[in-house]
Amino acid sequence: MWIGKCTAFLLRLAGRRATSLPGQVALRFSPRLLAKLGQQLEWCIVVTGTNGKTTTANLLAAILRTEGPIVHNAEGANMTQGIVTALLQHTDWLGRLRVRTALFEIDEATLPQVAPHLPVRVAVVTNVFRDQLDRYGEVDGTLAKLVSGLKKTEAMLVLNADDPLAHHIGVTSGRRCAYYGLARDHAGEPQRRQMRDGAFCLSCGEPLHYDGYFYGQLGLYKCLACDFMRPMPDFLGRIEHDTIEIQQNQLPRVRFQLPTRGLYNVYNVLAAISAARVCGFNADQIAKGLAAYRSPVGRMQVFRTSPVSVLNLIKNPAGCDSVLQAVGAEPGDKVLWIAINDQAADGRDVSWLWDADFEQLAEDRRIQFIVTSGMRAEDMALRLKYAGVPVDRLRAVPDLDAGLSEAFTVSRQLGGLPLYCLATYTALYPTAQWLERSVSPVVPLSAHRPSVS
Amino acid sequence: MSRSLRIAHLYPELLNLYADRGNILTLCRRCEWRGIPVEVEEVTAGDPLQLARYHLVLLGGGSDREQEIVARTLVAERTEWADAVAAGLPVLAVCGGYQLLGEYYELPGGDKVPGLAVLDLQTVAGEPRLIGNIAIESPVCGTIVGFENHGGRTRHRHEPLGRVLAGHGNNGEDGQEGVRYLNVFGTYIHGPLLPKNPRLADWILQTALDYAGIPADLAPLPDELERAAHEAFLARRITPEPARA
Repeated sequence: MWIGKCTAFLLRLAGRRATSLPGQVALRFSPRLLAKLGQQLEWCIVVTGTNGKTTTANLLAAILRTEGPIVHNAEGANMTQGIVTALLQHTDWLGRLRVRTALFEIDEATLPQVAPHLPVRVAVVTNVFRDQLDRYGEVDGTLAKLVSGLKKTEAMLVLNADDPLAHHIGVTSGRRCAYYGLARDHAGEPQRRQMRDGAFCLSCGEPLHYDGYFYGQLGLYKCLACDFMRPMPDFLGRIEHDTIEIQQNQLPRVRFQLPTRGLYNVYNVLAAISAARVCGFNADQIAKGLAAYRSPVGRMQVFRTSPVSVLNLIKNPAGCDSVLQAVGAEPGDKVLWIAINDQAADGRDVSWLWDADFEQLAEDRRIQFIVTSGMRAEDMALRLKYAGVPVDRLRAVPDLDAGLSEAFTVSRQLGGLPLYCLATYTALYPTAQWLERSVSPVVPLSAHRPSVS
Repeated sequence: MSRSLRIAHLYPELLNLYADRGNILTLCRRCEWRGIPVEVEEVTAGDPLQLARYHLVLLGGGSDREQEIVARTLVAERTEWADAVAAGLPVLAVCGGYQLLGEYYELPGGDKVPGLAVLDLQTVAGEPRLIGNIAIESPVCGTIVGFENHGGRTRHRHEPLGRVLAGHGNNGEDGQEGVRYLNVFGTYIHGPLLPKNPRLADWILQTALDYAGIPADLAPLPDELERAAHEAFLARRITPEPARA
């Protein structure tokens, strides 16, 4: 135990982040450490699933902290060693845990190993993504791991009603479940790149019928061959501007400010709120917690500039595509600013721009103008031209500061449209600082948000 | 004009290491902008190859393992390739595809992966990899810029695509880059070679249209962005030679 604490101490002394290694070292000397520390906990919540674990857990942590300190593997080290490391941080030199509530983000495959050692009262499954499972060829394997892990607990489950795979876990787990989902009117036609991920009924194997999609395989599904269908959510979310209204069964509706952007993040917020309600937190505590949450740099990070701006990191084709999708899912007309650098940390070769799906920007008529910047501003503009963006809606301004100023000028000229900023790694931090300096304290965020309709 | 220019993208599942679709997109757009109908057919490794169907063939780059798979497929079709190239079929071959046009690729252990042998060209694996920004001067279409990343050292007895202004080129020694033989263009400048080099793109298109017998006058396009990207690359990415710096 103290070997782990010493490792953590030394790592921090060396200026390193100590998220996994202390636990790994300690476990080597004391394999039963997790059980020893875990049994001192009184209450444990776990968050698992394919996507959104870290954001959901961090949002939930912000809410739980309104009542006092918790043990939390905040940096996403979600295997056994990361969990032990987080526990060690709250343990004194005699091996006594000073905090009795824990919130852990846990990798799907790790869950069966750690679940028996923790007093898990609530477990959140964010989603189980078929596209990823297809890639690894283990859809049944991952689901089985999740189910077997959850069976080793007494936990009540908080599940995504809109995800047929998460719902399937609820059905087969035999645990008490609370479902969260989005209101029907947010559903749309399947998006171009996601049409391949059509889901099948896990109860009978027939293709699922969808009345509408939210994103990926998330939607209003039902099996025409058996009785498997989307359950009526216990926590129903309705997005309006930058708020989410929660309807919990017959209770009065409550509205919260959304602390993050992007549809996938709405699900994370919904999951965190639902889990907090299940744990007995009230609306005031939830609102306070959400307000205290800070999203990491460059993940749909909102700046209260005038007009409002949202910053995203792009660095490879796959990640870039999901950012483009998230931006596309945002309502209303908008202006984009894309900064491409080619320093060592970005990659010297920017060929990947031609592998990313910038075509979706050309097809989106709500994107009114795009300014490109960075050392490869012209390459980026050229890529957009060949993607089909009209040249009169494009401008290349290599200098970052000048390009940002230009983008804001265009946004204002077009009536105060929100500005979505995409930047490669070495452009990200200067951009975040520039935007931070430009934040105007007087203008509320909602004043610049276009309506959903 | 009713006939369309038919382009084959060969083995996209194997030879698509980096952004070869950028080259195809460029050729297609530059046809569309001029009202020239164009079709792209993807030919995968199991498909029968019918070179006579096409007016332009693109062969991209792949990893060593993928390149070996393609080499085995291609060698069986050597005669068809030799005939098509002799008849003037335009071919754009990049990186791995470029090496495959030669007689062999000699691996570090001395084993030789046989190529199509349509060119008098040999490649030998070498260390270190030749990586970086490159600019060459072509007698036909001016400066060509891009990025090279290859372990192989290639030597041949044909015209080069251009003379190296900055960078490594075929082998880092003789100042030559790429190859031109009949209507075959080979180069180590990978990925999006054509977007930033519109004169090269149009030269290849003109060659393909002539071969197809499609009468077309490649009217100039508003290439301001293309030229800006080309010039910015030369100005910022191509370090001047020390003597001149």
